[in-house]
Amino acid sequence: MAEPYLVVENLTKVYERGQVVALKDLSFTVEKGEFLVVIGLSGSGKSTLLRCINRLIEPTAGRIFLSGVELTKLSPRAMRHMRRKIGMIFQQFNLIKRATVMTNVLTGRLGYNPTLLTLLGRFPKRDRELALKNLERVGLSEKAYVRADELSGGQQQRVGIARALMQEPELLLADEPVSALDPATSHSVMQYLEQMNKEDGVTVLASLHFLSLARRYGTRIIALKDGQLVFDGPPEAIDEVKFKEIYGEEAEEVEVR
Amino acid sequence: MTNYPDGIVKDPPKWLTPQGLLDIVTPVLQGMGQRLGVVFLDLLAVGVVWILVSYTVNWHSRGEISYTLAPWWLFGLVTVELAALWESFGHSLGFKVARRELVGPGGAPPTPGQRVRYFLGWHFTVLPLVGLVFQRPWHERWAGLSPQPISLEGRIPPPWWRTSVGIYVAVFLVVGLAAATSTTVDEESLNRLFTQAWRTVKFWRALFSPDQSIILPSIRDLLVTIFMAVMATSFAVVVAVPLSFLAARNLMRGPLGRLIYTTLRGALSIMRSIEPIVWAIIFLVWVTARRAPFAGVLALWVHSIADLTKLYAERLESIDPGLIEAITATGANRLQVLRYAVVPQIINPYISFTLYRWDINIRMATVVGVVGGGGIGQRLFFYLKNLAWQQAGTVMILIVILVWAIDYLSARLRAKLA
Repeated sequence: MAEPYLVVENLTKVYERGQVVALKDLSFTVEKGEFLVVIGLSGSGKSTLLRCINRLIEPTAGRIFLSGVELTKLSPRAMRHMRRKIGMIFQQFNLIKRATVMTNVLTGRLGYNPTLLTLLGRFPKRDRELALKNLERVGLSEKAYVRADELSGGQQQRVGIARALMQEPELLLADEPVSALDPATSHSVMQYLEQMNKEDGVTVLASLHFLSLARRYGTRIIALKDGQLVFDGPPEAIDEVKFKEIYGEEAEEVEVR
Repeated sequence: MTNYPDGIVKDPPKWLTPQGLLDIVTPVLQGMGQRLGVVFLDLLAVGVVWILVSYTVNWHSRGEISYTLAPWWLFGLVTVELAALWESFGHSLGFKVARRELVGPGGAPPTPGQRVRYFLGWHFTVLPLVGLVFQRPWHERWAGLSPQPISLEGRIPPPWWRTSVGIYVAVFLVVGLAAATSTTVDEESLNRLFTQAWRTVKFWRALFSPDQSIILPSIRDLLVTIFMAVMATSFAVVVAVPLSFLAARNLMRGPLGRLIYTTLRGALSIMRSIEPIVWAIIFLVWVTARRAPFAGVLALWVHSIADLTKLYAERLESIDPGLIEAITATGANRLQVLRYAVVPQIINPYISFTLYRWDINIRMATVVGVVGGGGIGQRLFFYLKNLAWQQAGTVMILIVILVWAIDYLSARLRAKLA
C-alpha cells in the first residue's frame, strides 16, 4: 500500500512555561488532494498542530512525514527548502502593512530566489508576471500597487492566498482563514481555497470555527479537544451527540450561510 | 539490571533524583520567599511612615535632621509589633500586594481568637525565620488561618477608606508630602517669592535688550551646536541599530541570549543615568587638545547610544510576530525574514526616534557646551560667568528660536512618519 501523503505520528507539544500540554499524542494521516478541516474550541490545539507541520513551532515529540520525508528530522536548511512547497494563510492575514500588494505577493517567492537579490527588493521578471497572474486569479489585479493596509479584510486575505499561490504549493495550511471576516466574505475566501484544492490539486488543511463551513467545504473533518483527537471522519458523521462531545454540553450550533 | 526478575531491582526513589529533589525544594523556597516578601513589605511600610513622621517632627521642633524620635531599639520593636498586629488582621499591605488574604478553613474571615493566636505565634516562626521553611508555618496552623488568593466572588469590596491598606496609602502620601515640604520650603523664602519680584527687574531688562554686535558670531556658534548634534546622532545610530537587536527581549532567547540581554540592558541603564554633562567632563579631560566641540560630540554620542538602543529595542519587542511567521512559512531564510518581516515594521519608528533624539541632542549640546563642550553653550556660559546679562540674554533668545524651530520641524516630520 502506498504511503499516505501526510503522516502525523504521536505528535506532542508541551509549552515550556507552565507545562501546558497543547497536543497530546496525536496521530492521523492525510491523503493527497484531501480538504481536511480541523475543528475544535479555541485553545484546543488547532493552531499548534498546523504550525508543527511546517515547524514554525518545534514539536516536543512525535514524527511528521510529508510524501515520505520525515519533516521532524530535517536540518533548518532542508526544512526551509521544504517550506517552499507548504503555503500558509493566517487569521490575521499577516501582510506587510506598509508595503504594496505586489511586494506582499512576491514574498511568496523568497525561498526560490537568491538572498542577495531579494534583500535589495529585486525579483525576476518571471516572478513579477506570476504575481500579476495570481492577483488576477484572486480578483485583485487592479490593486497590485496599492498599499496592503488600504484593503478590506477580505481583500487582504485574498492577497494572503495569492502569496501562498506564489509558492506553487502542494500543501496549504490555513489557520482560521475566515475568523476575522464577515460571513459573506468568508464564503468568497473559502471558495478560493476550494478552487486551489480542486483545480490545482493542492492538499488543504484548514482550521475553522464554524461547523457549517467545515461541512460545506471539507472532504473530511478531524476534531481536537484539549490537544487530543476526538473525531476523524466525513462531515456527515458529525451529529448532535458528536457535536456536544467536541464543543461541550452547553454549545449550540451556529449556522453561517 | 534488566536481567533480574520484576520487582527485585527497584528504581531509585523519585526524590533522590536531581529533578525530584528540585521538585521538593522549589515550592518550599517559593513559599518561604512569598511569606518573607509579605513580612518585609509590612515592616518596610510601618518603618517608613515612622521615619517620615519623626523626620518632619524633628525638623520643625528642633530644626535638625534626625530619623527617629525614640531610641533605635524601641523603633525596631514597635515596628515589628505593629507589622505583626497588622498582618494578624489578614489584609495588610504585604498581603494585598501578594493578592492574598488571611482566611480560616472554608474561606471564613478570621475570628478574634484566631487573630490573637496568629499574632502570638508569628513571633516564634517569622522572627527566627526557620519557622517559614515549613510548607504551612506553625503560627498559621495554630491559628487555623492561611493566606489564600483574594476572591471577590459574591462579595462587595469595601471602599478604600474602610480598608487598612487604603488608609495606610493616604497617610503615607500626607506624611511624605509633609516631610518633602519641610525639607524644601521655608517660611522666609516663601514670603520673598511673593514680595521681592522687583529685584529681578534689572536682570530681565538686560535679557530683553539684545546686543546686536554679537549676533553673527553667536549664529556661528549655533551652527557648531547643530553640527555637534548631527554628528552625535548619526554615529549613535550606527552603533545603536545593531545593539538594539541584542537588547530586545523577544529576540534574545536561551541562557546565552538572556545573559547578553541582561548585561547590555544594565550597561545601557548606567550609561543613560550618567548625565551628558558628566560625560562631557570625562571626555574634556580625555580628548580635548584644542577643539572643545569634539568632547561635546563624544559626550552626546555615548548618551544617545544608550537612549536610542533602548527606544529601538522596545520597538523591536513590540513587533507583530505574525508577519515573521508568515514570511518564515514561505521558506525564507533569516536574512530574508529580517528584510521582509522585521525591517518594514521598525523602519519608520526608528527614523522617528532618531529625529526625536536629534532634537534632544540640540538642546543637550547647549548644556554640554556650558562645561566647555563647545558651541553656543560655551559662549552662554562665558557671558554668564562675566555677568554680561545683555549678551547672555541675546544668546538665550537665539537658543529659544533654534529650539522652537527644531521642535516644530521634528514634530512635523515625525507626524508624517507615524
